[in-house]
Formats: sequence, structure tokens, C-alpha cells
Amino acid sequence: MRTVVCIKQVLQLGDEVEFTDDGLDVDPEYLDPALNEWDSFATEEALQLRERLGGEVVVVTCGPKQSEAALRRCLAMGADRAIRVEGAGRDPFSVARALAGVVRGESADLVLCGVQSSDAVQAATGTALAELLDLPRAAVITRLDYSGAGTAVVDRELEGGLIDRVEVETPAVLTIQTGINEPRYANLRAIKQAEQVEIDVRSAAGGGTPAYRIRKMFVPERGEGAEMIDGSPAEIAARIASIVKERLA
Amino acid sequence: MARDPKHDILFEPIQIGPKVMKNRFYQVPHCNGFGSEKPFSQAYFRALKAEGGFAGVATEYCSISPESDDTHRMSARIWDDGDIKNLSLMCDMLHERDALAACELWYGGPHAPNMESRCVARGPSQIPSDFEFLTYAIEADKDDIRYLQNLYVEAAKRARTAGFDIVYVYGSHSYLPQQFLTPFYNHRTDEYGGSFENRARFWRETIEMVKEAVGDDCAICVRMSTDMFLGEAGTQLKRDCLPFVELVDHLVDVWDINLSGIAEWGEDATPSRFYPQGRALPWQAAVKAISKKPVLGVGRWTNPDMMAEAINEGKLDIIATCRPSTSDPFLPKKIDEGRLDDIRECIGCNVCISRWEIGGPPLICTQNATAGEEYRRGWHPERFTKAANADNDVLVVGSGPAGMECAMVLGKRGMRRVHLVEAQDDMGGTMRWIPELPGLGEWARIVNYRKIQLDKLKNVEFIPNMKLSAKDVAEYGAEIVIVATGSYWSTDGLNGASHATIDGADASLAWQATPDQIMGEGKELAGDSVVVFDNDGYYTGVSMAEKLAMEGKKVTLMTPLGTVGPYMHFTLEAPNQHRRLHKLGVEIVPYHLPSRVEEGMVVATHIYDEDGHEKSFAADGVVWVAQRRSNEALFRELKDSIGLEQLKAEGVDALYRIGDCEAPRLTADAVFSGHRLAREIDSADPSIPLPFKRERRMVDAESVTREKAEYEAMYAGASS
Repeated sequence: MRTVVCIKQVLQLGDEVEFTDDGLDVDPEYLDPALNEWDSFATEEALQLRERLGGEVVVVTCGPKQSEAALRRCLAMGADRAIRVEGAGRDPFSVARALAGVVRGESADLVLCGVQSSDAVQAATGTALAELLDLPRAAVITRLDYSGAGTAVVDRELEGGLIDRVEVETPAVLTIQTGINEPRYANLRAIKQAEQVEIDVRSAAGGGTPAYRIRKMFVPERGEGAEMIDGSPAEIAARIASIVKERLA
Repeated sequence: MARDPKHDILFEPIQIGPKVMKNRFYQVPHCNGFGSEKPFSQAYFRALKAEGGFAGVATEYCSISPESDDTHRMSARIWDDGDIKNLSLMCDMLHERDALAACELWYGGPHAPNMESRCVARGPSQIPSDFEFLTYAIEADKDDIRYLQNLYVEAAKRARTAGFDIVYVYGSHSYLPQQFLTPFYNHRTDEYGGSFENRARFWRETIEMVKEAVGDDCAICVRMSTDMFLGEAGTQLKRDCLPFVELVDHLVDVWDINLSGIAEWGEDATPSRFYPQGRALPWQAAVKAISKKPVLGVGRWTNPDMMAEAINEGKLDIIATCRPSTSDPFLPKKIDEGRLDDIRECIGCNVCISRWEIGGPPLICTQNATAGEEYRRGWHPERFTKAANADNDVLVVGSGPAGMECAMVLGKRGMRRVHLVEAQDDMGGTMRWIPELPGLGEWARIVNYRKIQLDKLKNVEFIPNMKLSAKDVAEYGAEIVIVATGSYWSTDGLNGASHATIDGADASLAWQATPDQIMGEGKELAGDSVVVFDNDGYYTGVSMAEKLAMEGKKVTLMTPLGTVGPYMHFTLEAPNQHRRLHKLGVEIVPYHLPSRVEEGMVVATHIYDEDGHEKSFAADGVVWVAQRRSNEALFRELKDSIGLEQLKAEGVDALYRIGDCEAPRLTADAVFSGHRLAREIDSADPSIPLPFKRERRMVDAESVTREKAEYEAMYAGASS
């Protein structure tokens, strides 16, 4: 049983933001790197599968040397091996192509991704990866029932709190929703041990059309029409109530 | 980040008599326990506020004569050249930081106990103090009045020599000039008593004389209480204060307007339990409306929007802070830089004030562990040196106030990795439920401030929902382990009055409970009546009684102490807390200790009854606020069962404990304990606090020779 988890080191915005001189990106000074929240749930799910069924958990990411911190986070949680692919673009297609190159060589029983990344919020990489690998895929998984071969039964989260329970032939690509489990914390000893693990670094094959090109990144102009409500708490509450009634009417 | 333009008004300069204040932030006179006799502690404490952006900083009340000696409490003194020298250090350090220095000239009249000087104060009438025991003043005749006024003049000149820019003629808090203005203190029938004009005469003349003496060089500030809440006998806003403003406005350069007398000065230094910030604004605005001079005033200001609003609406000119400037001396700078979430907001608990009320010890602050430590321990609230052992990883177990503070300071000191591990689902420990007690909502700032700071520290990770065993801790992978597991309320009645448990006390029974169980676990006691037993003496017992009474229970608050919540006298919460309990119909039974409890009944005896007559109190339930005990099981297991050697083999080089886990204490002291360990984590033995600088006179050969000679000379030729 081998599960490959595709993860991403996201870059989180703080309170302030400045852009690079070319206007195509956020100044890295204003970004904090972290393991994408969805991917920590995907990693935890893979670790729980391994605890039940045995086997191996392999984590893969596309990114520069700095992104190894996210891989080491997963290693500290308990992943067995980590692979980093260098030189791919940052758009979902380029990333999916680079990941597909690695995943093909791993003969995975399951490929887990997070539903989306918190910085780009495209929810596209997992789906593109399934297409490239020609594997079935199911998205927004909130429960996974798998015995190590054949079909997996998964719950997919739909709008309005509905759940869609489906069977998926494996191998398959599943994109994992937050809340499916409770990701474990790594203690300091595991973090230190993970620092010693050698990460398998590979180069992206290159080629292919990116999903998009960034033309400009900016903070949208502030809109007009906000109403500041002054007065006592009771007056403010009364005004809010009347606005709500007005809009609902 | 940049300042929000809506706060620009707070940074506009303002003219005060012959001086200019660079912005609108002013530290109003307040005590710190240093006076003139710990000049370095005094100067460093005040100068830090100037560094943090305060444009004007005052002394505490500064005695003008040995006749006004407030010992046991600690005031500043400007009696002689030595005091000038000592206070000039504060002035110099403020001036170096571009701030004005203010001196609050004080004469206590009947309130001054003169325990050190053994003098007798003079006052308007011979009625003993309503604040002190056994202190009477001489009823001043005309000569005494001239003498007193001259004391102000001479003290003002000394203040000018020391370098002060602003000189107060201080009346608030029922001190001498306002005693003359107030019928409660002034029963005179001569031209200094009776009519408004007569009652105002002493203060008016004194202001005139001080203005004449130093007014060209110093701004004259008058601090007046605009309502003493003493009914007709007290100072009244409309009857006394507004006419007084009109009478002397031309002599005054800035008004410092507040409320209350001294006996209930919690109406001025308002505990958050009873009042929100800005509570004195209506009175301050009333003075502002008729005065042509700038008006400053306190209000436990921490919210810059409210500060700006007070100025924009013409209610105040200058934002005066006392407690918020101690909780965060960098309040102005943080507003200026738009760093609002870095403001360490005062919680209005008044433990700072409690130290003054107790008499003597330096102030402490629940939010700011460095308050009072600026000089003696060299702690700066905003600056942290990288620890010499910063290449270590630290595990802090428990995220109550001590654990949070320790992890935060370790993070700021650049430790490689700090893991703050908590068994509950969020940070705070008991401070998660304490703010849910009646009136204590603002205390949540203790947790909120630290949570925000910890979140910003990239080397600190918070791990909730993880209860660690001793083995887990040993194998965690940290070189330094700090146990901060707090304390719990005793469940068996163990208490500091009898030093024994109480027969039948067992909080595991359905009809008995501890505050931890009620507030932390949601335990409910059945029935209509409850006895709350309190031998803690601070807020927990009375708060439990208040909460249960508000829920409709018939509450009996029983204590072996002579009064309930005696420490709340020091925090100025007592008077209004007594009013609350009385209004809620809580029956108070002092001097009683339960001898046994059984379902439906508490049996108690009067602690001074030598025959031990028992009295029964019917009650459906009992709440034990008896004493706290450290949660030390984890620490003991690590130290005793696993042992330091085995820990070393696992890579744990050091094991410490902090806060209530060591010994239960005030939250301020628990926070201090976490801060102290983190500040000294790279000392030779961090478990033992480093010595602090003590300002004391040192004996040397030269002084011994001189003192002996002076003594001998006194008796030269005297017969024995």
C-alpha cells in the first residue's frame, strides 16, 4: 500500500502587503511560508491509512529549496519519504505535469491532494493531475473508507451540507477537505529527526502550456457606499435590524 | 504600518502656559513605590513612558513638607536639596526624551499619618481622616494658613530647580486645598469657611502665590475632583467646581480633572469590574466647556478611537493615562505606528494600586511584567536580547497566563523553537473562565494580548488538545522543559485558617463544588440555597457569591476573615463590591469557619469563640473557595519518578516550573514568574532569580567617620 500525498508550501499574507516592482507578485518580505492547511489533512489521512493497512506514505511538492520546510513538516508528522520537484511553473497545469512525472514512477495505490491551496485558491491542481495520470478522481472528500485494494467509498461535500457518497475505482486521485480528521502535531524530536532526512530532489521535465499568465496583481480600489452607524448600542442594533428587514423585503 | 489619520489629532502639539507638549499623551501623577528615595528606579520608570511617546510625565504625589508624610505609603518628597537632586534625574531623563516633567505638590492634611516624620499636619478643621485611623490635624489658624501656603511656594521653587516644567497645586483625592473647598472637611466659620468664596480662598490664594513664584518658568496645573460622591457635604460640580474654574481660570495653565475623594477613590481609579473607560468624561467636558485653558483627564484610556473622539468632541484636550501607561508605556508610539494589536491594554484590575494601598512595595502590573523592573532588573517591555542558549528547543507545558508569557518572551528572545502545549482546546488556563465572572470581562485581555503576540512569533508553535504524560515530555525532544500546569481549588476544604481539611468536604459530591468545577466544567448545584466558603480573600469568593445570587440562589458568604474579599480593599473594588452583594441579598457571615458539612447543612463556629459553640446554616449546596493547590503531578513525576538523569539521557538538559504550578499567586505574579524565567533562561541557574539592584545607602569608611563625629559633637560637654 503506497499513498502519494501532493502538498504545497503556501505563502500567507500578513496584515500588510506590498508588490514586487514588476507588479506581478507579492513582495516575499510580506509573506510567511507554511504547509497548506488542506495538505496537512491529506497527509494525516495517508498516515492513518498506513497505520491501518501498512505500507508507505510519500510526500511530493513542486517548489524551490525553501519549500522543503513543508515537506519536512509532513516527514515530522510521520511520512516515510519526500520528493521535491524543481523548475516547474506555479500555475496548476505546470505543477500537475511536474507532479504527474513523479507520481507515475511511484505506482501509488492512492494519490491524495488538498482540495485547494490557501494562497492561490484554484482547486485545479488535483483535478489536472488526475487527468494527466488518466485516473479517476473525486473532489472535496470528507470521509474515506478504503481497505487497500479495489474500490474506495468516499463522502464528497456538496453545497448546503449535502453529502454525496460514491465508490471510486483505485488507484485514484482524491482531493481532501479540511475537517476529515485531526492532523497530528509533530513533537520536537520528530521535527529534529525530519531535519536529517534526505529529500529526493528532481527536475521538472518542462514544456507544456501554463494554465494562465499573471498580468497584474493589485489591491482592488475601495468601494463606496458603506454606511457608518453611530449611536448607542440600542440605536445601532435598531438600525441594523431595519437594514436587514429592508434588504429581505 | 502607518498611523490611522483619524488618530492624527492625538499627535498635535499643545501649548500649556510657558511650555509646549509635543502631543496629547500625558502620564498623570500616579504612585509607583519609588518616591524620591529610589531615584534611579523612579527616573527609569518615568523615562520609559517618555521613550514610549508620552509628551508629559508626572511624579506621583510629591510631599511638600515633613508635616505631610504619608508613610506607610510611599510618596515622592520635595523637602530639601537632596530631594531636588534625586528628582532632577527624572527630569533630565524625561527632557532627554523630549517630554515635559510634572511635579504634583501634595499636602495631605488630616490624611497624612506622618509615621516616619512624627510631625502633625495642619488642616481646615479638626476631624479625623475618613481614610486613615487615628490621624488628626491641627485646626489651622491664620498663621498656620500662611505657613501652609508658603510651603507650597517654597516647594514649587524647589520643583523648578529640579527641572520640572509643570507644577501642580493638587487638591483632588481630598487633599488640603480641596479640603478647604469642601464642607465635608471644612467646618470653619472664618473667612476660609462657609460661603463658596470663603471655602475657595485658601486654594485661590495658594495658586496665586505659586503662580507668582514660578509661573514664568513653569506651567501651573490644578488637579480637582469634580464630584466626591459625598452628597451635599462633598464637592459638587455645579455648586463648587465650575465656579472655582471661573474664579481661577486666568491663573491656571492646565486643568487636571477627575472624580472622588480619597476614601473611595475607586470612583476615580475605576476598576473595570464596575466602570468602562472614559467614565469621567461628562465631568471633564463640563469644565472644558467653561475653561479657556487646556483640560486633561484620566479615563483608563486604551482605545485610540475613543481618545480621538473625546478631543474631537471638545470634551478633553489631553489624554491623561495612569494605569494604561503602566500596562503599556509604548501606548502612544503603537498608536502612532498603527500597531494597535500590539497594545498591551490595561485590564483595570488595580493590582498596581493595591501595592500603594498596602504601603511600600513597588507597583506591579498584571499585563506588564516589566513594570517597576525598568531599573532594578533592567527589563525593557519592548526590547529583548537574543538568549545565549537560543539554539535550544523549549517545551512549555500549560498555556495559562504564566505559560503564555514565558513562551512569548522565549519567542522574542529568539529561542530556536518553542512549543506551547495545552491539554485544553485553547490557550488561557483558568484565565479562560475568570473573565466570565461578573464584571471581569476586560480581564480577557490577558489572554487576548498574548495570543496575538504568540501568533506573530514564527518560532513559537501552539499545540492544543495534547495532554502530555511525563514520558511524553521526556521524549518530546526539547532541551529545556518548563512546566506551567497551574493550580486548582482544594476540593476537601483544606484552608489557611485551620490548616486542615473540613469534615464532610468533598467536591466530588453533587451538592459541593469548587470554582474550577462551576466555571471550568459547568457543574451546577441543585437547590435554592448555597454557602460559599471563602478563605482566599480576593475576588474569587465574592465573585462566586455574586454569580450564584444573580442566578437566583439564596447565598451565604462565610469567611473566617473579618470581612469578605479583604484584598479588594487594596484594589479599590471593595466598596462597590459590598454594594453589589448587599443589593443581591447575599448574607455575609464573617469570622466563621465550618467545622463540618453534611447534605443540607453547614455547621460552623465563630473563630474567636473559645467554647466552640456550633451554629448551623441550612444550605442545599456548598462552594469551596478555601485555598488553591499547585497542579504539580507532572513536574513531580518528571523530577522524582523519571529523574533528572534519565531526562538528561533523553536530551532534556533543564527542567523548570513557573506560575501557580510552583505556588498559587496573583495573576500578576504568575505572569511575572513566566517572564522572569524567560528573561533569565540563559543565566547560570535560571531556577534562581538573579539579584536585582537595590537602591540603598551603602556604608563606607568615610561616612562612618563623619556620622560618628556628628553624633559625638551633639553631646560634646553634655552631662549624662
